[in-house]
Amino acid sequence: MATGKRRSATLLLIAPAALVLLVFLVIPYVNIVIMSFRPPGEGAPYGVGFTLANYRKFFSDSFYMLQVLNTLWIGFVVTLSCLLIGFPVAWQLARGESRLRPLYYSIVLAPLLVGIVIRSYGWTVLLGNNGVINRTLMGWGVTDGPLPLMYNGLGICIALTHVLLPFMVLPIMSAIQGIDPSLEAAARSLGASRAVAFRRVLLPLARPGIQTGSILVFVLAISAYVTPALIGGLRVKTMAVTVVDALIDTFQWPFGSALALVLSVVGATCVIVFARLTRMRWKVA
Amino acid sequence: MLSRLFTGYCLIVYAFLLAPIFVVVAASFNAGNFLTFPPQGLSLRWYVVFFENEVFMRAIRTSLWVAALTACISTVIGTAAAIYAVRHAGRMKDTVRVAMLAPLLLPEVLTAIALLFFFYAVGMGTRTMAGMVIGHVVITLPFVFMNVVASLESFDPALDLAARSLGAGRYARFRRIMLPLIKPGVIGGALFAFIISFDTFTISFLLKGIGTSTLPIQLFDYLRTNFTPEAAAVSSVSIAMTIAVVVVIEKVLGLRIHRF
Repeated sequence: MATGKRRSATLLLIAPAALVLLVFLVIPYVNIVIMSFRPPGEGAPYGVGFTLANYRKFFSDSFYMLQVLNTLWIGFVVTLSCLLIGFPVAWQLARGESRLRPLYYSIVLAPLLVGIVIRSYGWTVLLGNNGVINRTLMGWGVTDGPLPLMYNGLGICIALTHVLLPFMVLPIMSAIQGIDPSLEAAARSLGASRAVAFRRVLLPLARPGIQTGSILVFVLAISAYVTPALIGGLRVKTMAVTVVDALIDTFQWPFGSALALVLSVVGATCVIVFARLTRMRWKVA
Repeated sequence: MLSRLFTGYCLIVYAFLLAPIFVVVAASFNAGNFLTFPPQGLSLRWYVVFFENEVFMRAIRTSLWVAALTACISTVIGTAAAIYAVRHAGRMKDTVRVAMLAPLLLPEVLTAIALLFFFYAVGMGTRTMAGMVIGHVVITLPFVFMNVVASLESFDPALDLAARSLGAGRYARFRRIMLPLIKPGVIGGALFAFIISFDTFTISFLLKGIGTSTLPIQLFDYLRTNFTPEAAAVSSVSIAMTIAVVVVIEKVLGLRIHRF
């Protein structure tokens, strides 16, 4: 009796959070799936009854298919560049002996604390036709006209790599911090070159961090809205931008839901394939 | 030689990380009418323009209100859940953790769309600020939860036991033992929820009511049509406010933020 009473008292602790997540996360997500089968409405965001028309519209129009491929390609390029740029930095943060390490660490964290709109705006200032980079290059006489750095996939990739880099660096950093440094030293003393010790010892042990970072960056890249909207302008649109436009500007709620779900399923499939290929062990942090 | 090259490479990456932020702050002191480089002299005129712009001022007030409300609600709910997860969940601990981190793992744009439909479906719409605050609470919960869990895990259960054997009741033990010890985690989580709510865009953009634009939304709208350095001044003030909160967290409270 007494323990039963105690248990119900402790359940009160988790009840508010459980309620919030159930009502404002689980039910709304189920609702998106239902919405994607609704017909478009007349004078309302959606009509009554159910239909497959939204999915048919998506699969019969190569415009949307190309856009999904383009979005996935951007996600892939951003993930790869974050990995290549981020790994050395993660290593330096985990193993470096510099006195400036706390400063470096806060530089990596800093972008996370500046709003995404502001960071993307910073990139428009840097990449625009009249931006810092083009002005400087033209001033030096390197190029005659401005290089096309904005309103294209390149600009979106550059800005997204910047925005998402911390999500790659931090998991890899904590993975490397968990590796005993004497393992590398042992490999070296057994005659392994630096390159071999890196490839055969450090890299396999850091794999969980690389996997977590890659998945985070990829998912965030293909679902990003602000950066592609500001850098891509009206010319280059990623899937998330098209989805939000369909919802906000043209009120095509059912079709927008179908688009969002297709992108989610395709994105999740990529993540699962990646996890399988790299033999990921799912573990909760 | 190799390590020199390596350090140089890392320094370039750090410059890359700071570049857009630096450029925005530098541009805000531009005296000219447009964002040009090099700047046409130094001036604070765009800050004056910003502070006299009622639209932006209202957006800042909205942002601060939403962030404060979000931080309060999120902190209470998230702290309770963290105490449950660490002290009472038993074998369910991992399940509770995954569930609490779920909002972080789901794409924000999808959560925003889901909530938008839901609020319409239940007839609440987005006429008031409530929808936006609920959305912010959902996405900030994981951060409060993680921060409080981290400080609870370094909290020795023997202290609680000792207090109990000395005759302290449940409430007294919570008030006098647990709360003071996990206070850094709770305050850190609250401030973090505040920053995230203050800076977040997508969820606010989809859930905003009429006349409840937050600062990031107003800035985004402005940037789609305008190119004056006023946006840079707005951004710089926003960055300064965030830095102020972080300095409070790190220096005054001596905490480390748990973002992951």
